[in-house]
Amino acid sequence: MAAAIEPLNTTPTFADIDRGVHRIMDPPGMLFWVWIAFCATLVAIAGALWTRQIYQGLGVTGLRQPNMWAVYITNFVFWVGIAHSGTLISAILYLFRTRWRTAVYRAAETMTLFAVATAGLFPLVHLGRVWNAYWLLPYPNERYLQPNFRSPLVWDAFAVSTYLTISATFLLMGLIPDVANARDAAKGWRKIFYSILAFGWRGTGEQWRHFQMMYLLLAGLATPLVISVHSVVSWDFAMAQLPGWHSTIFAPYFVAGAILSGVAMVLTLLIPMRRLLNLEQFITPWHLDNLAKVVLLTSLVVSYSYLTETFITWYGQDQFEVVTFQMRYWGPWGPLFWLMVWGNCVLPLALFSPRIRRSTVPLFIITIFVNIGMWLERFVIFAGSLATNFNPSQWGFFRPSITEIMITVGSFAWFLMLFSLFTRYLPIISMTELKEGIRWLRQSLRDDYYPDVSKDMK
Amino acid sequence: MNAEVELVGTFAEEEECVHAVEVLKRHAIAFRVFSPIPSEHLVHAIGRGLSPVRAFVLMGGIAGVLTGLAITVGTSWEWNLVAGGKPVVSLPPFIIIMFELMILFGGLSAAASFFLFARLPQFDPTPGWSERFGADRFGVAVKCAEDDSARIEALMREAGAEDVAHEDPRVRELVAH
Repeated sequence: MAAAIEPLNTTPTFADIDRGVHRIMDPPGMLFWVWIAFCATLVAIAGALWTRQIYQGLGVTGLRQPNMWAVYITNFVFWVGIAHSGTLISAILYLFRTRWRTAVYRAAETMTLFAVATAGLFPLVHLGRVWNAYWLLPYPNERYLQPNFRSPLVWDAFAVSTYLTISATFLLMGLIPDVANARDAAKGWRKIFYSILAFGWRGTGEQWRHFQMMYLLLAGLATPLVISVHSVVSWDFAMAQLPGWHSTIFAPYFVAGAILSGVAMVLTLLIPMRRLLNLEQFITPWHLDNLAKVVLLTSLVVSYSYLTETFITWYGQDQFEVVTFQMRYWGPWGPLFWLMVWGNCVLPLALFSPRIRRSTVPLFIITIFVNIGMWLERFVIFAGSLATNFNPSQWGFFRPSITEIMITVGSFAWFLMLFSLFTRYLPIISMTELKEGIRWLRQSLRDDYYPDVSKDMK
Repeated sequence: MNAEVELVGTFAEEEECVHAVEVLKRHAIAFRVFSPIPSEHLVHAIGRGLSPVRAFVLMGGIAGVLTGLAITVGTSWEWNLVAGGKPVVSLPPFIIIMFELMILFGGLSAAASFFLFARLPQFDPTPGWSERFGADRFGVAVKCAEDDSARIEALMREAGAEDVAHEDPRVRELVAH
């Protein structure tokens, strides 16, 4: 539970930062474990339904011809997209030495890792015969049968597994100095746990010299990786000759959408976390305001992509493409499409107002709608386009079964459970980098820095 | 016999620690620095140049590209089937695999070479280290002859050390074992 609100210390010291972050890692209370139990229950239900699906086959889902890709693939792309902003915030903003990044990047990186881990489950969930998943990897076999490296699905297997590995490496490497700090303050089993993760880090000049180079290069490698991974994900669709999918703009369009949904998810997580864990001292209106600006920028790019996509279809006048878009806008997919436009394009325009960017409640509501909108965007593209293929006699409408709905709910519970556990057992805010930029933190804590911050954000 | 002592200067501010490092370098005194933050000024003052981690990342990246090329071309030759009229070895799609493996191998090389050069994992105590140097203080440790300790302590105090502790390396070894 949130403790009584104390006035913020506008001139925090290194010791204050340590105390504040160590406090988050204190043993959690009963309410936290109730939350974890709730999430674990939903995960268990999803696991049970997946087990039933493996046993009985994909017939228990709503997947029918022509809609053989729908909710599971939507979830896959949604979670990969969510993962992307973590790398944007931690790697790209690191390369640009963006000052406001320090307090929020660890949460974003953590979100990235768990989002990719969640995304990686969905191609497996989607497989009718999951035990054959290893066929995607090249391995010596007696029939000399190898994966087709011209297939986007094989590119995807390489791209997503590389992304998972590099995200995990980036997070774990960045954690070392902070975990060493936590080790020195911890007792009991936590001291042993942190000692293992800190690898004996002492913060010598030599260690920092190599650490900084390693971190810089990892950021440099992660930056093109993030662009490539979602481009490859988009080619899963764009390489297919299906109206609504076969488009050259998919790669930049998907990357922009990924960053929009990811930054929105960072805000969705940070706003309640900031309040529940009393992190107002470290995550200030300055940080939320800048994240909101990124949401606004990427929302405008996504809106432009929607218009471009529509223009290409109108200008090309391919009759199948035109009908697909008519069905998307005015047909059975219309309500979902317009809700998507509302969430991704219209509502974020409110972020032009500094007052809204600096008030947590409206900001939280907008980010929730962006998350819904971005999920719907993928669903409308994947399921909607397949439902209106080249053969009008096959046209239909996809309805998910309870299996797909509960596995989707379970994936959110799985993600939130892992993220919540991380916040209470590992430093969710980078102490070393926050200390490095302590003067910017102090500046952002001054009352006159943002004079029009609403009371709920203070 | 002139015994060796370990002098450990504690600094509250990064600038003072950087200044102490510069002074010690000027007097050709060997030292070890501890910092709670990734200070570029401090790394620059130590003056050891750029980390060799970058060379390993380059080698890892090149190894990744070559591995990607070998896997894609090799398996295509092994499964020598023309599909869709495309060449068996179609380089443009293979570049994607090479790119991903370049990043993967480069990233893992960065982590591995960091462990190698930073000498991690390391579970023995580092001479001069204190928990405060991971929290809110900067530290400079100098191993010197007892006769010389007064001069070095004076240099560190002049540079802004708030405290200079004398440690006997033999006692530290006894405690460690």
